[in-house]
Amino acid sequence: MSEVVVDRLNKHYGPVQALHEVSLHVPDGEFLTLLGPSGCGKSTTLFAIAGLDSPSGGRITVGGRDFYNGASGLDLPPEKRNLGLVFQSYALWPHMNVRQNLAFPLRLRKVGKKEQDARIEEALALVEMGAFIDRYPHELSGGQQQRVALARTLVFRPSLLLLDEPLSNLDAKLRIKARSWLKQLQRQLGLTTLYVTHDQSEALALSDRIVVMEKGRVSQLGTPEEIYRRPANAFVADFVGASNFLPGEVVDRNAAASTCRVKLAGGDVLTCLWPDTSAPPAGSLLTVRPEHVGLSAEPPLPGPDVNILAGRILERAYLGARLLYTLDCGHGLVLMAETETRVEGDTAWLRFAVDDTLLVRA
Amino acid sequence: MSLAEPQSRFFRPDRALLIQAAVALATLALVLGPLVPVLWQSLLDRPLYEAAPLFSLDNYSRLFGNPRFHDALGNSVLLALLSTLIATVLGVAFALFLERTDMPGRGLLRNLTLWPMYVSQLVLAFAWFILYGPSGYVTLAVERVAGVPLWDMYTILGMGLLAGTSQAPVVYLFCSSSARMADATLEDAARSVGAGPLRALWSVSLPLMRPSITYAALLTFIGSLEMLAVPLVFGKPVGLEFFTTFLYIEGLGAITPDYGLIGAAATLLLAVISVLLVIQGLLLRQSKRFVTVRGKAQRPKLAPIGRVGWVVCGAMCLYTALVLLLPLAGIVLRSVTSFLTPLMSPFDLLTLDHFEVLFGYEAYRRAIVNSVIIATFGGALATLFVAMVALVAHRSEFRFRRALEFVALYPRAMPGIIAGIGMFWAMLLLPFAHVLQGTIWLLMLAFTMRGIPMAFGALAPTLHQIGRELDQGARSVGADWWTTVRLIIFPLMKPALFSAYVLLFLAFLKEYAAAVFLFAPGAEIIGTTMLSFWANGSTGPVAALSVIQLAITALFVTLARRSLRTNKDV
Ligand SMILES: Nc1ncnc2c1ncn2[C@@H]1O[C@H](COP(=O)(O)OP(=O)(O)OP(=O)(O)O)[C@@H](O)[C@H]1O
Ligand SMILES: [Mg+2]
Repeated sequence: MSEVVVDRLNKHYGPVQALHEVSLHVPDGEFLTLLGPSGCGKSTTLFAIAGLDSPSGGRITVGGRDFYNGASGLDLPPEKRNLGLVFQSYALWPHMNVRQNLAFPLRLRKVGKKEQDARIEEALALVEMGAFIDRYPHELSGGQQQRVALARTLVFRPSLLLLDEPLSNLDAKLRIKARSWLKQLQRQLGLTTLYVTHDQSEALALSDRIVVMEKGRVSQLGTPEEIYRRPANAFVADFVGASNFLPGEVVDRNAAASTCRVKLAGGDVLTCLWPDTSAPPAGSLLTVRPEHVGLSAEPPLPGPDVNILAGRILERAYLGARLLYTLDCGHGLVLMAETETRVEGDTAWLRFAVDDTLLVRA
Repeated sequence: MSLAEPQSRFFRPDRALLIQAAVALATLALVLGPLVPVLWQSLLDRPLYEAAPLFSLDNYSRLFGNPRFHDALGNSVLLALLSTLIATVLGVAFALFLERTDMPGRGLLRNLTLWPMYVSQLVLAFAWFILYGPSGYVTLAVERVAGVPLWDMYTILGMGLLAGTSQAPVVYLFCSSSARMADATLEDAARSVGAGPLRALWSVSLPLMRPSITYAALLTFIGSLEMLAVPLVFGKPVGLEFFTTFLYIEGLGAITPDYGLIGAAATLLLAVISVLLVIQGLLLRQSKRFVTVRGKAQRPKLAPIGRVGWVVCGAMCLYTALVLLLPLAGIVLRSVTSFLTPLMSPFDLLTLDHFEVLFGYEAYRRAIVNSVIIATFGGALATLFVAMVALVAHRSEFRFRRALEFVALYPRAMPGIIAGIGMFWAMLLLPFAHVLQGTIWLLMLAFTMRGIPMAFGALAPTLHQIGRELDQGARSVGADWWTTVRLIIFPLMKPALFSAYVLLFLAFLKEYAAAVFLFAPGAEIIGTTMLSFWANGSTGPVAALSVIQLAITALFVTLARRSLRTNKDV
C-alpha cells in the first residue's frame, strides 16, 4: 500500500545533471538503502521523493498515487505527501522542546489534545526518549537528538520513512547500537523505508535491498548478499570493499560451470566466476577480496578450484588478529592479502578459491 | 646588539599611554559635558548659572504634578508603542518575505525598503504633511471623491503610521541578517511533516528570529520616544504634547524657561531610555540559546510561495509608493510651485521663488553651506576620533578600556534634544566655553557625541576580525603601540572607516534635534532653518530646503557606492 515507484527520474542543477534516469521499485514494507559516494545523488533522490527538491523529469508514485509526474507537470507539495523525513542534521526546531517538536505535526493534522499526548508518549516510548519530553534540542546529545527526530516523523504515522544519513553524526560505537535498534524498529512497524548512507557496512547490515549509485545513476540494485558477492561492475565491487582488481584477457569460458579463464599480463592463467549468461565484455576485471587470499611460504598444491600466484612481499601491516600484506606479483600487479598466517622472508605464494573470485565489468 | 632598544624602552610606552588617556578623557568630556548639567540642574532650585543654588527634589514633584506632563508622558508611551508595533510587523514581514521566500522583485525591493533610512525624519514628516496632512494634496483629493476627510494625521494613530513606517527599515535591517542565516532544513522539516510554506515561515522561521525581533523592537521603541520631528509637525498644531515636544516648548517657547522642570523631565527621559538599553543588553546575552547544533552544510534554499509572492510584491510596491516615493515626489513638486492643490494643475503654478529665497539671503545660503561642512569635515573628524576610541577600547592595554567602551556607547540613551539642552547648559557653566558658542564647532561636538555609538558599531566588528597576531608581530619587531596602530591596524581598517564615515555624514546632514538649542546666527544648519520656516508657515522654502538636503544625500550616496565598488580590494 505504500510501495514506491521511481521511474526514470532526472534532475538538473543548471548545467549539472545530478540524476540520470534513476528508476527504483520499493515494495511495501521493504527497507531499501541508497548507497554511494558523496555527491552521487542520494540526497537529491530522497528529497525528490519528499517533494523538497523539484526533479526535472520522470515520475514518482507512492502507494499508487502520483507524487510527481514530469509529463503532466504534477508536483505535489511536500506537506501533502505525508512522508516522514529524518534529516542528516536532525533539523529539530530549536525554539520548541521535545514535546512541542512532536506536537507540531499533530497540530497541523488537527489531532485533539488528548490524542496528541497519547501519540507523543507512544512515539517517544518507541525511541526510548520518554524521560526527555521537556528538554530543548540544545540540551540533548547528538544520539538523543537523532532519536527525537525519528520520533517526530513516527508520531504522525507517515506512509513512508525517509532517512538521510541519520547516523552520520554519531560516534562509531553509538552508530552500531543505533543501527540494530533502527532495524528492529522498522521491522516492528513494518514501514516502507528509504535509507541513505555512504557507509557500506551500515547498508549491508540494515537493508533488505541496496541501490548503489554512481554519479547520478543506479549502478546496481540487489540484496546485500548479491551486492556483496556479485557486484555488477568494478565500481560496486570497489565500493563494497573488494580492493584487488586483476586486469587480464578472457581466454575461454565455461558457460555450464559459470566460469571463465583469464590470462594476466605476466602469463599466469586464472579461473574465475562469471555468472552472467552473455560473454564477458573486453576490459573486464578479475576481483578477489583480500580476506579470501591465503598466503604460504611453500608452493601450495594446485587444483582445479584454486588459483595460485607468486609474489614479493612489499609491506606487512599489523591489524591485530590478522596481518595485511601488500604483494608485488610482477608486471605492475599489486595485490593485498589479509590473513592470520605469518609468512617470513621476502616472497610468498598467493592462493584463492575460484568460488571467491568474480569477473566484473570495468 | 641593542640598537633600537634603549630609547624605546623608556620613552615610547609613555607615548601610548598619553594618547590613550587623551582619547579616554576627550570621550568622557564629550559624553559627560551635556549629561552632567542636565542631572545637576534637575536637583537645583534655580537656573544652574545663578549663584548659591539649593538642592531639592522640588523639580520632580512639580513635574509629576504638572497635568501637561502627564498627558505628554501618556501620549509618548502610546505613540512609541504604536509605532513600534507598526515598524516591527512591517520590518519582520519584509525580512521574512525578502530573505526567506522566492517572491519576485526581491533585489529591487530590498533596496527600496532601506531608502527611508537615508531621508531625515523631519523631511519625511514635511513630505507626509504636504500630501496627507489635513489640507494635504491627497487628503483633499480623496475628500472631494468621498465627501468627508477619510483620515486625520493630527492623531496619535496618524503619527504612529508615519513613525512606524519610517522606522520599519531599521527592524528589517536587524532581522534580515538572522533571516538570511536561518537554517533552511528547519523549514524543510516543517514542510515534510505537513506544514504549507506560509505555515512553515510562521511557525518555524519567525520564532527563530525572536531575539533579533525583540532587539529591534526595543530599538524602535527608544527611537520613537526620542523622536521630535513627527510630534512637532503633527502634534503641536492641535496641542498634542509628547515628551520631546514638552522639552522643546518649555525650553524655547517660554520667555523665561523653567530650567528645573526641563532638567527633571530630561533626566526622567534619560532614565527610561537607559533602563530600556539595559534590558536590551540582557536580551542579547540570552539569545545564545537559539544557536543549534548543525550537521553538514545546509542547502541555502528559499521557500517557494508561488502566486502569493506576486501579491506580496505588489503590496510592497504599493506600500513603498505610498509611504516614500509619493511623499518625496510631493515635496519636490511643492518646492517648485506656489502652492499645491488638487483643484488646480500644478503646472500652472510653477515657480522658482522658493529657491530664489534660499539663495538670495546670506543666512539661508550659510545654513546649506554649514550643513555640508559639518557633514563633510565634521563627519571625517568624528570618524577619526571614534576610530581612536575603538582602537583604545579594543586594541590596547589601557586600564580603563572597558569603562571607555561603556562611556562611548552611552550616548545611545541621549535623545538629540537632550544632548542639545545639555550642551547649551554646559556652555553656560564652563569658563572658556563661550569661544565655541554660536559656532559650527559646537554643533560638530554635539553631533559627534551623538554619533559615537553608531560609528563605534561600524568599526568594532572589523577590529575583532583583524587578527591579534598582526599587532603582536609588529610589537615583536620593535614597534610601539602607536606605530602599530598607525602602520598596521589603521590601513586594515580602511573599509570600515569608510562605512563609518558614510553613516556619520548622513547622520550629521540629517541632524536637527540636537541643534535646536545650539544654533545661532552664523551657525545655522538646514534642519534648524527648515524648522524656523515651518514655524512661520512658509511651506514652500521648507520643501525647497528638503529637496536640497535630498539632493545632497542622493549625490553622496551615489558617490559612496561608486567608490565602494572601485575600492572593493582595499
Ligand atoms: N543546489 C545545487 N546546485 C548545483 N548542484 C547541486 C545542488 N545540490 C546538489 N548538487 C549536485 O548534485 C549532486 C548530487 O548531490 P546530493 O546532495 O544528492 O549528493 P549526496 O549523494 O547526497 O552526497 P552526500 O553523501 O555528500 O550527502 C552533487 O554533485 C552536487 O554537487
Ligand atoms: Mg546527502
